[in-house]
Amino acid sequence: MKRSSVEIITEWDIVAARQLGRNEAKKAGFGTVDQARITTAISELARNIYLYAGKGRIEIERVTDGGKDGIKVVASDEGPGIPDLRKVMEDGFSTSGGLGAGMPGVKRLMDEFKVISEPNNGTTITATKWLH
Amino acid sequence: MKTRIPILKLNDVLIVSIQWELDDQTAIQFQEDLLNKMHETAALGVVIDLTPIDFIDSFIAKVLGDVINMTGLMGAKVVITGIQPAVAITLIELGIRLNNVMTALDLENGLDKLNKELEA
Amino acid sequence: MNKITVEGIRQNMDEIIERWIKTMKEEKGERFFHFMPDHLIEKTSREFAELMTSNIDESDAASTEKINDFTEKVVRFGWAIKFVNKAIDNFSDIVFELLEEKHIINDANFKSFNQLFKNWINPLRESIIDAYSTEWERTVSLQKIALQELSASLIPVFEKISVMPLVGTIDTERAKLIMENLLEGVVSQRAEVVLLDITGVPVVDTMVAHHIIQAADAVRLVGAKCMLVGIRPEIAQTIVALGINLHEFTTKSTLQKGMQAALGLTNRAIVEVEEQ
Repeated sequence: MKRSSVEIITEWDIVAARQLGRNEAKKAGFGTVDQARITTAISELARNIYLYAGKGRIEIERVTDGGKDGIKVVASDEGPGIPDLRKVMEDGFSTSGGLGAGMPGVKRLMDEFKVISEPNNGTTITATKWLH
Repeated sequence: MKTRIPILKLNDVLIVSIQWELDDQTAIQFQEDLLNKMHETAALGVVIDLTPIDFIDSFIAKVLGDVINMTGLMGAKVVITGIQPAVAITLIELGIRLNNVMTALDLENGLDKLNKELEA
Repeated sequence: MNKITVEGIRQNMDEIIERWIKTMKEEKGERFFHFMPDHLIEKTSREFAELMTSNIDESDAASTEKINDFTEKVVRFGWAIKFVNKAIDNFSDIVFELLEEKHIINDANFKSFNQLFKNWINPLRESIIDAYSTEWERTVSLQKIALQELSASLIPVFEKISVMPLVGTIDTERAKLIMENLLEGVVSQRAEVVLLDITGVPVVDTMVAHHIIQAADAVRLVGAKCMLVGIRPEIAQTIVALGINLHEFTTKSTLQKGMQAALGLTNRAIVEVEEQ
């Protein structure tokens, strides 16, 4: 399946990642609301990488599963990892003093959401949105 | 590359139309520019029109929220106009409610609302 | 050997069908064979038997069209997939039994007949079950579309005022659709006040309330006001009992009261005119 990726190193790469995401979502046939959901989710994930890991990568892939089409976003970094996953998934929690919408927000925007994180070994977040 | 968002003055009101996707730098620059302009012109109200914007993430929402609070501190009222349905839905799903913000469907309604608010 | 089998089956078709119906009637939990009129049972069973035997004499599989027609029918009759499977099992058992009784199958050719049956029944079973699940998926997706069509449309009532009547249970997927229709409608109709009428929503639990609150919040963001109307006494009770906080937005017991409030918010009122 088609797969494209953006390295996240500077703030500008966040813009590049979400633009790529929006184009892919449009091409996959998502409506305007879902396009906004996917773009926003990518922006949040990319920003997390930029803020906490310093650098990493956003990969966007078109996927199918039993007749369903969708878009899978994989955000990966080799940063410090997330020490307390459960805490991060709580609404209102943010380590950067931002609005704290981060992870639970992304989970709500997408259909499937998975985090794998090990201390000092980086974090990989996979989020998928299906076409309904 | 540095882009700046133009801020127009109409009587007591500043009008801002954000025409393209905001990157972080532009958003922060805008915050600074708007506050300076408010100081210069002693404007009583601000209308920020977001009609062309098709997505807002938590960072930009935070900058907007901060701008609104800061403007409030400087004694002016802010109305946000033209938030698209898709943007509203994603903001709500992200858990960003922008509670203390006046909103209106478009610039025209926004100016009406602001003027009524300023008269009151 | 195929020829002998086909001949054997053809000659004893009535007997096979009769026995098959009898066995099927003994199956538990199936209403079809008990409540349907006899001629319909007879007809369906004959079709089934024909379908089952259509591919023995030819090496190629039974025609897809026939299989699809038949499965469409049994899905409509409400046969469960387990029951269809059982029907196939019973049919092949009965045919085997009968051929044994008629001494067409004997100890000498038992093994090759066994193989013949396997080659006959298995592909048939696969295609029938395949057709069945396709038919079932189609039914489900049709129902889903029907349900979506039921979903909420925003009706412009006066200038600046629109109403969305909600009917039926609200699940997450429907809630999303409602939210999208609501917001798109507010923007395109330039509504300043929208009345969300929940008279037709049977249950308002925490989740439904959550969706309604989110919708109202989103309406506020696009620049309009959302009012919740049609709150029946039992709904008010459950909302309070569940500790759901609806203080932040206006609620009214009826659409009528809501409409008056909406007119007030947009600086208008209904005035009676004297008769001429």
